Amino acid sequence: MQLAVELEELGTQIIEASRFLEHAEEELSLRIIGQRDVIRRVFIAMLVNGHILLEGVPGLAKTLIVSTFAAAMNLKFQRIQFTPDMLPADLVGTMIYNPKDLEFYPRKGPVFANVILADEINRSPAKVQSALLEAMQERQVTIGSQTFSLQEPFMVLATQNPIEHEGTYLLPEAQVDRFMMKVIVDYPSYDEELEIMLRSATNARKVPVRAVVQSDDIFRARTLIDRIYVDPRVQRYIVDLVVATRKPAQYGMAELETMIEYGASPRASIFLLLAAKAHAFLQHRPYITPEDVKAIVYDTLRHRIRPGYEAEADNIKPADIIRQILQHVQVP
Amino acid sequence: MTFPMSLLTARSAAAGKTEQPAITVMVIPDSVLVGDRIRCIFSISHSGKEVATLEWRAVTDILSSRSFELISSKHLSSTPFPGSSQERFELELAVFGAGHQTLPPVTVAFRDSKGRVTKKVVYTPPVSVFVRALTDSSMHDFAPLKPPLKPQIPFLLIMPVILGAVAVAVLVLLLLFLLKRIVRRGAEKVDSSQVAQRKLRKLGSSLSAGMPPHECYEELSNIMRSFLENHYRIRALEAVTQEIERDLKKLGIAGFENIMNLLKQADLVKFADSRPDAEESRQSLQKASEVIRSTRHSRPPEE
Repeated sequence: MQLAVELEELGTQIIEASRFLEHAEEELSLRIIGQRDVIRRVFIAMLVNGHILLEGVPGLAKTLIVSTFAAAMNLKFQRIQFTPDMLPADLVGTMIYNPKDLEFYPRKGPVFANVILADEINRSPAKVQSALLEAMQERQVTIGSQTFSLQEPFMVLATQNPIEHEGTYLLPEAQVDRFMMKVIVDYPSYDEELEIMLRSATNARKVPVRAVVQSDDIFRARTLIDRIYVDPRVQRYIVDLVVATRKPAQYGMAELETMIEYGASPRASIFLLLAAKAHAFLQHRPYITPEDVKAIVYDTLRHRIRPGYEAEADNIKPADIIRQILQHVQVP
Repeated sequence: MTFPMSLLTARSAAAGKTEQPAITVMVIPDSVLVGDRIRCIFSISHSGKEVATLEWRAVTDILSSRSFELISSKHLSSTPFPGSSQERFELELAVFGAGHQTLPPVTVAFRDSKGRVTKKVVYTPPVSVFVRALTDSSMHDFAPLKPPLKPQIPFLLIMPVILGAVAVAVLVLLLLFLLKRIVRRGAEKVDSSQVAQRKLRKLGSSLSAGMPPHECYEELSNIMRSFLENHYRIRALEAVTQEIERDLKKLGIAGFENIMNLLKQADLVKFADSRPDAEESRQSLQKASEVIRSTRHSRPPEE
């Protein structure tokens, strides 16, 4: 059975245009062992202009993934360590007075880069968090009275530690919603850990990362992703999944009504579709299937569902709720 | 609570002699509960050349004074008579202890016009107050707690109840077991492959009657998924093709590649806007029928 001619052509173009990701993946594998899913999620977010919240205990190579990714992608990378005494100006920049010509000049902050690693974002107060999240949303920054557009591609990868909550400022739901995905960085497998240990426990210099991608590759991929075909059945499947988080009883899950305090916002539907498109692109497919949706649904919805009191009492996590929803919403 | 008011008067030992002052005391009431207050009104008659003052002796080593606590004292009046004078004082006292409590001694001091103490008289009022305790003062120890009463139910009486409950539970379990077997047998009688074949034949007829081929593939996908769900007892209707493939591989179903080919073809029509012709659709229906026939006798997985 043949695909429609346009999709056949698109498929060929996608295979051609996605080669840079294979090169980037190879380059990343020289420095990073395992964490393939995390790397794929980072690619997905970059392909559809999204931002990622990485959650994991310290020492799981979160920073290494992001810095290696930026280097391989030939993108300007900035790491910002969020601290409680940080001010918005430390992030976006400030006006500096020049006594020579008696003028104020803007000094751009570290947010003016392509890839930002906001390390431990929950350690700084809400003012700083909202300054970054505003930049993420608007993709522009105002210093004094001047507004500056952020350079594309612009991607924020924020990290937070799930085990330490003392002295942290929990990200408000409205701000967490701006992250396209919340990716859980898990421990490596036994074999991976063995390889990490052998490769890292040496005084030899680390393998340098080559820049194998150009910004144009990313922009070209984005154009092709926009053309990926989405059947109305898949569109409805996405909306069904998101609506099921708000009205589970409609989908035969009355027991979830009390488990969910509030469900995912419409932003979830948008990001779910975008991420599914990017996932299909990574699979070299010119169309989305429900498999693409299922592949990224946990990462896209887990931070958008707030479990209710009963769920917390029963230690039911958003991932458990999503699993149940997937088991009840019929696949087209 | 009210108490009978009584008037108790006493005269000092020195009463009757002209140069000695005469002191009387009146206590209201004469019977109180512990912690209550009494009023003591002292009347002191003297020569009139001096001024009398009353001093409360809060001496803790005097046993009787431990039972009284001075709350307030005031000078009520001073009445001059020819050649003498009478002064009245009021003491408000809180009363403690229990039983008859004698008022402690008080000191009456006399001062001349220059304020110098010329004479001091220690006066022990010959009056007592009866103090009633709030609790039973005869109780010195805590009474031991009585052991809880144990119900006296004979074992022979409980035994039939226990046996009855066990019998009911066994009966319910037996009924549930039988019910499950009946339901399973009923389900087995409806052969999932026969149902699927019947649906495929109906679909073939619809295709011949002019059903659009792409709709035929959608229906074919549903038939195959229902068949897999009923025959192999896997979750196929809520699963994507990849998940079904994984489950069938795990079960080690022979010829699962043919099933997967059909599902993947249906996916192309459903999600990739692929438009097969009627002949392709008919071929797919025939393949589906063969696949179902070939898997008819394969054993469904044990629960």
